[in-house]
Amino acid sequence: MDDQERADAFYAHVMGGGKVEADDWMPDDYRAAVLKFVEMHANSELMGVLPEREWILRAPTLKRKLALTSKVQDEVGHAQLLYRVAEDLGKPREQMLADLMAGKTKFHNVFHYPTRSWGDVGIIAWLVDAAAIVSQQALRDSSYAPYARTMKKICWEESVHIMHGRDVVLTLMNGTSRQREMVQEALDRWWGPLMQMHGPPTDPATDRDLIWKIKAKGNEQLRQEFLSIYVPRIWELGLTVPDAGLGYDEVEGRWHYTEPDWAELRNVVTGHGPMSQERLEFRRTNHAATQWVRDAVLGAPSAAA
Amino acid sequence: MIHSGNVRAPDEELAMHYAREFYGRRQESHRLWVVARDAITELDDPDLLNPPFDRSFKRPGGYLIKHKLEAAKARANAPAGTEGSE
Ligand SMILES: [Fe+2]
Ligand SMILES: [Fe+2]
Repeated sequence: MDDQERADAFYAHVMGGGKVEADDWMPDDYRAAVLKFVEMHANSELMGVLPEREWILRAPTLKRKLALTSKVQDEVGHAQLLYRVAEDLGKPREQMLADLMAGKTKFHNVFHYPTRSWGDVGIIAWLVDAAAIVSQQALRDSSYAPYARTMKKICWEESVHIMHGRDVVLTLMNGTSRQREMVQEALDRWWGPLMQMHGPPTDPATDRDLIWKIKAKGNEQLRQEFLSIYVPRIWELGLTVPDAGLGYDEVEGRWHYTEPDWAELRNVVTGHGPMSQERLEFRRTNHAATQWVRDAVLGAPSAAA
Repeated sequence: MIHSGNVRAPDEELAMHYAREFYGRRQESHRLWVVARDAITELDDPDLLNPPFDRSFKRPGGYLIKHKLEAAKARANAPAGTEGSE
């Protein structure tokens, strides 16, 4: 069998619902596509803790502080699990971290924005994690089996984060009018990035990640699922979604909304968001400050020896 | 990936054959990973795995939102101006 036949057989396998393990033969295109996808996901988990980390010391009660600390720990754990999956595909972890810090690789748009209030912490844990879990649940069906397995554990933990976030939001909504305003202001700030998060609709006929079943659902389908579950839950609290064009079309069976700002999405994920550089700088500083730990664990020769 | 069970065999090759017969005979498995028992590192310390502190905030069931949700919905539906003052 020549390489082309082998690749054809491989793609027939994954397109027919077959799974791929780390040590299976796979075409370079597929390997590169899975690596890119998982690496971006790992980067997002790692960078995603920074907006919330800023609020650990400002959490209003001890219980909230424990829950937020635990969530941050979970997310870093997700990054670790995903870098494991990615490094098995051939790219060393140190290289992935170096590329992230150099701005060569990306992380999700929502982690490029500031967290201005405790209301933001609630909205992030509830709705950003909810938008993420919609796509992560679909990834449990990924053709790349180590990724699909990892996603089962991650989804369980994400469901805890969503409950924590919804609990924070509900507590504020039962509080003073200033606390209620704080939630509405946070929702106003986050709605745009949330609507951009799944990305512009792609053509299923040309989206390779979809064709090879690396991901199981398209961007627009994920956004529609997110809206179907969460918009009613937002409305029932008396909150206003800041989009006059938002509504469910019974006839078409889908949500209409004002076109998200795709230029903002492109701009933000290429490192031009309001907090992009500050967050990357934090990572670089942190990476340098913890170098001695890696040296000690990995046994790099000491300079003093 | 699940732990299917264990087999007793004198060497790796036979262990693989037994595993196939026990756990792969009805096309229920995509692949089998067979590891010698003494190659497994185990942690079973209950103080580490099940510490006696309240960790309910790490589980979905640790958040009881029913009454909070009812109260928030009631407030959302209340006519404007009927809210209690601060
Ligand atoms: Fe996560
Ligand atoms: Fe999360």
